[in-house]
Amino acid sequence: MALSLTACRDEHRDCVDSTGRLLPDSSCQTGSRGAHYWYGGSSGGHIGDSVVGGSSVSRGGFGGIGGEGHAGGGE
Amino acid sequence: MRRLTLNPRSDWQARVEKIGLTYHTLADGKPYWDESAYWEFTSREIDRLEAATAEIQRLALDAGDAILNQDRLAQMGIPSAAVPAIRAAWNSEPPALYGRLDLAYDGTSIKLLEYNADTPTGLVEAAVAQWYWLQDCFPNADQFNSLHEKLIAKWKDLKDYVPSPVHFADGGSEEDRMTVAYLRDTAQQAGLKTKHIAVHQIGWDAKHSHFVDLENNPMNTLFKLYPWEWLLNEPFADHALSTLPPASALQQYGPRKDRRMWGSMLWIEPIWKMLWSNKALLAILWELNPGHELLLPAYLDGPRNLNSYVRKTLLGREGSGVTVVQDGVALEGTLSGESPQGYVYQALAPMATAAGKTAVFGSWLLDGEPAGMGIRESVGPVTNNTSCFVPHLFR
Repeated sequence: MALSLTACRDEHRDCVDSTGRLLPDSSCQTGSRGAHYWYGGSSGGHIGDSVVGGSSVSRGGFGGIGGEGHAGGGE
Repeated sequence: MRRLTLNPRSDWQARVEKIGLTYHTLADGKPYWDESAYWEFTSREIDRLEAATAEIQRLALDAGDAILNQDRLAQMGIPSAAVPAIRAAWNSEPPALYGRLDLAYDGTSIKLLEYNADTPTGLVEAAVAQWYWLQDCFPNADQFNSLHEKLIAKWKDLKDYVPSPVHFADGGSEEDRMTVAYLRDTAQQAGLKTKHIAVHQIGWDAKHSHFVDLENNPMNTLFKLYPWEWLLNEPFADHALSTLPPASALQQYGPRKDRRMWGSMLWIEPIWKMLWSNKALLAILWELNPGHELLLPAYLDGPRNLNSYVRKTLLGREGSGVTVVQDGVALEGTLSGESPQGYVYQALAPMATAAGKTAVFGSWLLDGEPAGMGIRESVGPVTNNTSCFVPHLFR
């Protein structure tokens, strides 16, 4: 359980706008229009910087309770 | 009904492995698939089990309405965030595939023990392995088993209106993987395009707000052998709920079957199965139908007047969290400790016992219709993940 949850939580993410420029994290938390998270990219760290690399896809957000090596979800 | 013994087929392991039952032996080396015995029924007894299954399904449908009309979801421990989607799904009837009633049957009375409505397993054994066993050992006998045909028929019904491909996801255990592989095979035989993905491999595309597979393609239909109560306790829970219809859908489209109320991704089983896979259902069924011949007295607030009963956690699985109390004394499990989920207290049922084992009869439903049976035997009174599967026939 811990492995999968940790993998999801520890993945670096930035909040970006629809053109991939860095926004304050609060924009994603409040669901501002066009704001979304970007995973595994890098930037200069300043608001408005372009984020390069990475992906809009994150994985590991399911399967932490079951998952490999654990009891399955069936009964 | 009676339990009989016979010699297992000499190459039974190879035979059951060939048709997908690779988990035929337990960790201690004892068989999980146990064909050294079988249960024999009369056709009349099977008719009774089939009729009981249909009647309990009817009661469960009424109970679902009552739970929603009386706002009992919080009492069942269902997260409030999931309630609008459950209401919308219940009313719009997105596809629901299967479920398994666990029944006590001693040859006289049939009683509902619980309803595994969301993620039932034991399907490969019930649908396929025991059917081939019957053909090999008793080709002139019959079996309560139309699972395979009904699965393919259901997928054919769905073929033209569920978004394709259908992704099949499991949580990683061998039994779950093989169960999902079998279900996927029945969908393919019905002509659907399918893909497999492990639950932990499912991705969330934050830019496009949809789930994606390993190729980052959007997932539109997901069969998941992974319980809703787990999904809603994991980091992607909010994303899952965002793919389900919002509270406004019910007002917008009304309480009728309407595909626009299915949400942006079709989940099989649908989220309303949380109403039935929760053991609070047992107490609500009894409350709505006191004295019903197919139900056991069951309560949420304590054992009341029951001196002998089973205490089950509302979301317990595979026999976990079960305490059996006889004449006020815990025979199995413990009454100490508290579960944050709460408990249901259910009267002890008269069970079939033979050769020192207790049998539970898993009666399958496909698309809401009785479809077959699988029998599990336990040394003790509680069925768990080491209880053996024993085939059956009727004449």
